[in-house]
Amino acid sequence: MTALLQVKGLAKSFGAVHAVKGLDFAIEEGRCVALLGPNGAGKTTTIRMITGLLKPTEGQLRFSGTGSSGDERRLIGYLPQSPAFYNWMTGFEYAVYAGRLCGLPAKAARERAKELMALVGLSGAAERRIGGYSGGMKQRLGLAQALMHRPKLLVMDEPVSALDPLGRREVLELLRELKRETTMLFSTHVLHDAEELCDDVIIIRDGQIALQGRVAAIRAEHRSPVIELRLERDAASERWLQSCETHFGDAAGEPAGAGLIQAIHVQDGSVRFTVREVDAARQLLLERLAKDRIKLTRLEVGHSSLEDLFMKVVTA
Amino acid sequence: MNEPLELSRVLAIIAPMLAIQLVLAVIALALCAKAEQTRGPKWMWILIILFLNVVGPIAFFIAGRRNEA
Amino acid sequence: MRTASLPVYLVMVQKELLELVRSFKLLWVPLVFVLLGIMQPVSIYYMPLLLESAGNLPDGTVIDIPMPLGSEVLAQTLRQFGTLGMLILALASMGVVSGERNSGAASLILVKPVSTLSYIGSKWTSMLLLTWGSLSAGYLASWYYTGLLIGEVAPGEVLGSLLAYGLWLSFATTMTLLFGTMLRSPAAAAFSSLGLSAALSLLSGLFPKQLGWNPGALSGYAYQLAADGVRNPDKLWWAVSATALLIALALAASAALLGRSPAVD
Repeated sequence: MTALLQVKGLAKSFGAVHAVKGLDFAIEEGRCVALLGPNGAGKTTTIRMITGLLKPTEGQLRFSGTGSSGDERRLIGYLPQSPAFYNWMTGFEYAVYAGRLCGLPAKAARERAKELMALVGLSGAAERRIGGYSGGMKQRLGLAQALMHRPKLLVMDEPVSALDPLGRREVLELLRELKRETTMLFSTHVLHDAEELCDDVIIIRDGQIALQGRVAAIRAEHRSPVIELRLERDAASERWLQSCETHFGDAAGEPAGAGLIQAIHVQDGSVRFTVREVDAARQLLLERLAKDRIKLTRLEVGHSSLEDLFMKVVTA
Repeated sequence: MNEPLELSRVLAIIAPMLAIQLVLAVIALALCAKAEQTRGPKWMWILIILFLNVVGPIAFFIAGRRNEA
Repeated sequence: MRTASLPVYLVMVQKELLELVRSFKLLWVPLVFVLLGIMQPVSIYYMPLLLESAGNLPDGTVIDIPMPLGSEVLAQTLRQFGTLGMLILALASMGVVSGERNSGAASLILVKPVSTLSYIGSKWTSMLLLTWGSLSAGYLASWYYTGLLIGEVAPGEVLGSLLAYGLWLSFATTMTLLFGTMLRSPAAAAFSSLGLSAALSLLSGLFPKQLGWNPGALSGYAYQLAADGVRNPDKLWWAVSATALLIALALAASAALLGRSPAVD
């Protein structure tokens, strides 16, 4: 596997604010990479530096196969969070224009535009003015115009965040198809979108990489057993829930439990214990519940999801 | 030189100016009616275009349309 | 410039022209100039009659306003273009860059393999076309009416003053483009450009000897070319060269500014 894009020590400061503080990562050809992080983590800044819209304060971006022109923008197709076009143009005209700016001859640009407008499901609206398009249509036109010159790398900033559930579904389906043909990098703050679509994930927080790797590998590596309890919602149980952390937090007064319970997460009526060893922990919990005469409604043993990991990483 | 105040002459001189003013107002009205969004209420722009000679249509062309970029 | 940037520039010019047509700018701006151009000779022609009918003058008062020469009327027309005309041009083109930057449309274009110089150049080309087209239409209309109502003016004088004045308006338009790239607010751009033009024009009027070479002096030369011939042609050529140079510098500066931060949002 060759790295299509190699990023080294990428940093950006706006005055005294360090938005991105030295990122190192590589995007391999043919893969789909998610740049995942909470709002304000530096995702958009990173994306903009990759597209060349922002000059990095420090660091390097190395594209392979730039060719003789030396202009890496030829390799990139870019879709911003909420793309703005020329409202007086029709969707088809804009797609043709985008292609011609990338050096396609007029005829080739028209053919490609027709093909892509069909692919993104805009054939019916191709001759209408962009001013009348909905958010989802604009996003799909944004994809079509980004793909006109068959870019090696499709870069997208929060491609589905601004859309309603239906539009979101449409664009995600489209991306799933495109994934087979192009390398993709997209930013999102929604773990689910990343998990659904991507091979690799780069989680950033405060402008730094918190975790990166293959989604499957991360899932396997950070998988730890979880025991979830659900209780009746009577006063005694509520109290017990609230005091859970002090009971088990450092397993105070429970020599057998030392280090057994790694994390506790309480939320209305239930509690999740991330544990080291299921059997011992289950034993401990059941004994405790019996002793305190707590009305248990459900006990479930499972594994931590990426969601848990994501929450842990970005809130740590 | 002809008599300046002869009616047909006055008309011949003034007609092109009136025609231009009319064309400006008609285009502005058509664009205003067609616009999806105007800056401020549409009826206000229609009044401005109709009653402010020349200046009204120009003001609409420059400032009246939103979302046309 | 990058390889194959000329075709890309031409494609961008085409887009700008299409925008001029679709926004009706290519129609309404020249029409306003024609109106301004016609109004000058017509109002001068009817001035005595208007005065006569407006004032309740005692019987027997003879109004004796000497009819000006045709060339003087043309110079007055140019003054109209220099105030109202320039205002309209600045307002019509103030948002061409900042509007696209503010909406984000510019960033979608500038991630493509196009140079900022092509981008700025295409805007400039279309703005200049609008400027020269409007000025020529208005000035020719004024010439026709002046010849009809007041007095013939030789074509050579018309052409000379048109070229000098066109260069002056081109300078002002280029400044609107430069300020429009520099500033976020289109209105601020329009008024900076108008302010600068007014200041240059005023200064060269006050100190014709010292500042006769600057672009602001061009309007004065244009009036002279229309009316009675240029008094010091040397200075005129200095002004023409200085203006051309400043326009080129402003374009380069605009492109560089845009390259530093293509998107402001």
